[in-house]
Amino acid sequence: MAEQDIEKIGYGFTLFEGMQKDNLGYIYRGLFTQNITDSIISLAENNLESSGESSKVKKRVFSIMVECLQNVTRHQTPQNTICEGPYQAGIFVIQNHNEAYQITSGNVVENSTITQLQEMLNTINSLEKDDLKAYYKQILEDGSISEKGGAGLGLIEMARKSGNKLFYDFKTLDEELSYFYLHTAISKNSESAFNEIDLNNIKNLHEIINRENIILIYNGSLNQEGLIHLLSTIESQPIGAVDVKKKLFNIMVEMLQNIVKHGEKKDDELGGNPGIFFISESNNSYKLSSGNYIKKSIVKELSEKIDYVNGIEGENLDMFYTQRLLNFDIDSSKEAGLGIIDLRMKSGNKLLYSFSEVNDTISFFSLQIII
Amino acid sequence: MEAFIIEKTEETPEIILNPAEHIFKISHRSLPENANGFYAPVFEWLEEFRQNLPDDDIQFVFELEYFNTATAKQIAKILLLLEKISHEVSLEIIWKYRKEDVDMMLSGLRYSKLLDVEFSIQEIEE
Repeated sequence: MAEQDIEKIGYGFTLFEGMQKDNLGYIYRGLFTQNITDSIISLAENNLESSGESSKVKKRVFSIMVECLQNVTRHQTPQNTICEGPYQAGIFVIQNHNEAYQITSGNVVENSTITQLQEMLNTINSLEKDDLKAYYKQILEDGSISEKGGAGLGLIEMARKSGNKLFYDFKTLDEELSYFYLHTAISKNSESAFNEIDLNNIKNLHEIINRENIILIYNGSLNQEGLIHLLSTIESQPIGAVDVKKKLFNIMVEMLQNIVKHGEKKDDELGGNPGIFFISESNNSYKLSSGNYIKKSIVKELSEKIDYVNGIEGENLDMFYTQRLLNFDIDSSKEAGLGIIDLRMKSGNKLLYSFSEVNDTISFFSLQIII
Repeated sequence: MEAFIIEKTEETPEIILNPAEHIFKISHRSLPENANGFYAPVFEWLEEFRQNLPDDDIQFVFELEYFNTATAKQIAKILLLLEKISHEVSLEIIWKYRKEDVDMMLSGLRYSKLLDVEFSIQEIEE
């Protein structure tokens, strides 16, 4: 495999490490539509259902997610300025970390509105629960609702429901625009509140995500159940034409099932195998990437299998598939599994991969497929 | 012989093997983690069926939207068993695929080439 290819997909591990660090679960980046919003909410719903969270916490997570997503939807196109380039896309992040659900959203704002926004956030953060309610009423009665229908009512709602401060940060893009990050946490135990949140890790990850034009990341432990939920959110994404989406779905199943079946755990964590899956878009093609731990001892064997499959094409590839299809022995052979051959055939491209050493026994395997 | 029915789920197909009604059909999608385990009872049923074959013609329908590679092997095994059955009773395999689903059509074509049995590949509307 060419050196530059390995370098090119090595950021998968960086991304994985960055997400593991903050226990980031799900990132969506792109244009926010009603469909997207719905599918993000239903993914969270699935996860919350299976986590056995109390209905009180669930309700709060939902209402804050909805406010947050509406904020991004409403403000994703600045009114007076044309915003181009990767930062135009909004971003939404949800994570289950430190005994709380942490929600971060990001969108572009005009620099001229920053002072006002900061004042409002600071005011909200300075108020206690009852005062927030009064403030909410006051704004309603003032009728000073902004053209986009906001006036910060959504922000006040978020602060009230989360019981936590609204953490925020800005990143200057140019003379006109900045990126606005907003973060809040819903503690599972309503007694505990957060005083400080570091948004730098998310900001750094956002750089990679923008650079690689990533539209969706899932990071977490993967088992068959999680896989099915993830697939259903992909089905509801407005990605490509029907046949492209179908292909995407097919390839995704094989990649994710590979992690479920062949992935390794680094520590003795419970549940499925830790892994990352993300989709990026470039010039009419989609790149699907997965990453997971594997035993260092199988790195060589796996490289050889993939190299072999990459080295054949057309009829030979077809024949190899058939031959493996009819091998009903439990897979212990040195030859590539059907999954790898299938990925190669369906994508019509060579499979890009790289390994990063984690410790004496474990390596990280990144795989990328272009369709 | 008693019918064998499995209802579909998000990850497993609907399977109807009902000799009395002349329905033999595997449809929807199949991506179980443990395909071996999922299809084991199907083989058990088919083996027993092979000992009690009806006189009527059999049409065995595959109408899948999607299957994973683990399932691909199980389908190959089922088809090979059906090929054997076709030596004893008239049996046709019908492979249906949604219009424009080229991958599914090609999968059918691949299987048909592997077998010496009546095999028809049919396009269906959405």
